[in-house]
Amino acid sequence: MAGQDLQRREMLRIMATAAAASKFPGFAKWSFICSHDKSVESIRPEGYQPLFFSPSEYALVERLTELIIPNDTTPGAKEAGVSEFVDFMVARNTDKQYSMRLGISWLNAHCERLFGRTFMSLVEAQQVAVLEPLAYKAKHRAGEEDGRKFFLAIKELTVMGFYTTEIGYKEIDNPALKFHAKSPACPHVDDPGHKHLPPPKW
Amino acid sequence: MPKQIYDVIVIGSGAGGGMAIKTLCEAGLKVCCLNAGRRLDPAKDFRNHRKPWQMTFRGFGDPAKRSESVGYMDSEWVPGVWEHEIRYTTAPGTEWTWPRCWAVGGKTNFWGRSSARFGDIDFLAASLDGYDVDWPVAYQEIAPYYSRVERMIGVSSSIQNRPSNPDGEYLPPFNLRCLDHILQKGAEKIGVPYLPDRIAQLTVDHAGHPACHFCGACTTGCDTGSFFSTPWRFLPLAEGTKNLELRTDALAKNILVDERGLANGVAYIDRKSRQEVEVYGRAVIVAATNVETARILLNSKSRHWPTGIANSSGQLGRNLCDHLYGESAYGYLPQLLGQPSFPDSVGDNTIVWMPRWQNLKDPHEEQFIRGYSVYPGGGCGEYPWYATRAEGFGSSYKREVKRRYPTPISFTLQAPSLRTDRRLRDSVRADSFSVGRKRFENVATLKAGLCRFASCGRRRGRRLRRFTERSRLEPPRYRDVPNGARSQEIRHQRFRTGSRRAELVCL
Repeated sequence: MAGQDLQRREMLRIMATAAAASKFPGFAKWSFICSHDKSVESIRPEGYQPLFFSPSEYALVERLTELIIPNDTTPGAKEAGVSEFVDFMVARNTDKQYSMRLGISWLNAHCERLFGRTFMSLVEAQQVAVLEPLAYKAKHRAGEEDGRKFFLAIKELTVMGFYTTEIGYKEIDNPALKFHAKSPACPHVDDPGHKHLPPPKW
Repeated sequence: MPKQIYDVIVIGSGAGGGMAIKTLCEAGLKVCCLNAGRRLDPAKDFRNHRKPWQMTFRGFGDPAKRSESVGYMDSEWVPGVWEHEIRYTTAPGTEWTWPRCWAVGGKTNFWGRSSARFGDIDFLAASLDGYDVDWPVAYQEIAPYYSRVERMIGVSSSIQNRPSNPDGEYLPPFNLRCLDHILQKGAEKIGVPYLPDRIAQLTVDHAGHPACHFCGACTTGCDTGSFFSTPWRFLPLAEGTKNLELRTDALAKNILVDERGLANGVAYIDRKSRQEVEVYGRAVIVAATNVETARILLNSKSRHWPTGIANSSGQLGRNLCDHLYGESAYGYLPQLLGQPSFPDSVGDNTIVWMPRWQNLKDPHEEQFIRGYSVYPGGGCGEYPWYATRAEGFGSSYKREVKRRYPTPISFTLQAPSLRTDRRLRDSVRADSFSVGRKRFENVATLKAGLCRFASCGRRRGRRLRRFTERSRLEPPRYRDVPNGARSQEIRHQRFRTGSRRAELVCL
């Protein structure tokens, strides 16, 4: 009985999440993604309707989040539904909307200048080549200040959206909000200076 | 109906008011407590065990309302707890954030819990360095009260024999984390103490209250009452005596006086009905936080008190200093790069402190008088705030964020401001249990500016009081977390040159 009860509660929880998700369209994807039951993922609604971005802008934002935190050995921003969070936050923030739209136009115009095509029609290597001068100080180029600002803004939102999902928590093995019977103590009792730690795990 | 006369009316139920209520009720006096906000329900109002993805804005708050936030504690985890309905304005050209928790228990619901004792080096500081006047009490007189409070609320720490802050009666301290051991080693080399903080948080069960469960969400309130707050510790005791009447949503307006000019009651606004109500008592205790207390007193004008009650000196409302939230320096520990994560935020970082090490032997050893303490923190937090500072994107970036996760550290300096002019370089360790407000003279004149009661019916929008004068220094901005640009002394002089391994490298 107890087990059933738990299942029922879990069902109610998922239903509640789904209800909340329908209230905040920006959350449809990640709330399903974040539920413990992975099978739910397959029924998540395809074809998210962006709140602020146009469909083509949204596709570009999604691609950027994916490039910033890719799906490599672990799931990335796309799997965590980060673009929906970005859209949701920008939709709520009228101060940011103009610069976001401007940034997207800048990026596309920039790509046209360099390759004669918009960002989304470039192959991955070209996309990376466009972003690298924006992202790394050593590669900065004059005249790309607007692009750098836009990239940083998207990156900020991507980080915010990614590391606040269950996927993001798992990525860095976030130990937050666990309960402990005793105040957790440093495990390296013989090495207070921490000079002989095991080799880095990552 | 004959009007009821209470023995004592207490305005406020925070650290000061809560203690007064408990003590007076236990002594058998009939107490009426007026509290400006509502009573919290920890199960509903503290969402401290929820994950960010269970919040609408993932814990970042509504971007549309960000400008209204009063700081990091005013978050989605405690919605509607910090005061927003009743507004205040600041003097033109100044910035000041005024975080007000008017719920029952006030800021004890969310406070930092550092509970060190002052020593004679503070009480008699004026005799030592020649500035200002001594406190009217010495440590020996206060010590028994410190003990009493420590036994009552439970403070975890260790015996440290520091000349600045005498030891008390402590529960076992929190265990040190990896970052603490590393920093302690570094601090040792340059002769700076690095010790367990005195923290009003239970490491073992105490006085019928359960030990901490080390979840690290103290800033959003505790659902087990394992750190001291008046709603968990004092109000149940006071209510048990049946001597307490707690009136919530009762915003004190002014103190009433009798024909001799002595306080005999309080007029308050009931925020629900928006009516003015009067309550009478033989004595009135005003414990509504320093700025609010000053406002109420200044607002209490009468024939006997034309400039506000207890303001014959004209000093009322001047030279105030609100709670200091400190300024921080940030860095990272390269030793821990790539190491597995560790629950570092178990006590919301109030685990260790670096108690005052300046001006101990010679009061004029430094370029400033008196001293300050530093509160280190860091490690694997709930959110990798450093991530946007790491360069680049892609798999290498993702890995870098992960590698750096255990490494960030911060040092929060609790002193008014080291950037102020020499006259004002007094130092303060502010916490809710400091015995008086006298020490805060000359520290900062705050700009509370014009206080408006947005909700007071007919009085809506009417300027009630400009109760502070021009400020002489810029108070530390609470929300503005700089890129390690402040707290220069620690960053540049001490750690950079002093300790190679624990060097602070700006991200």
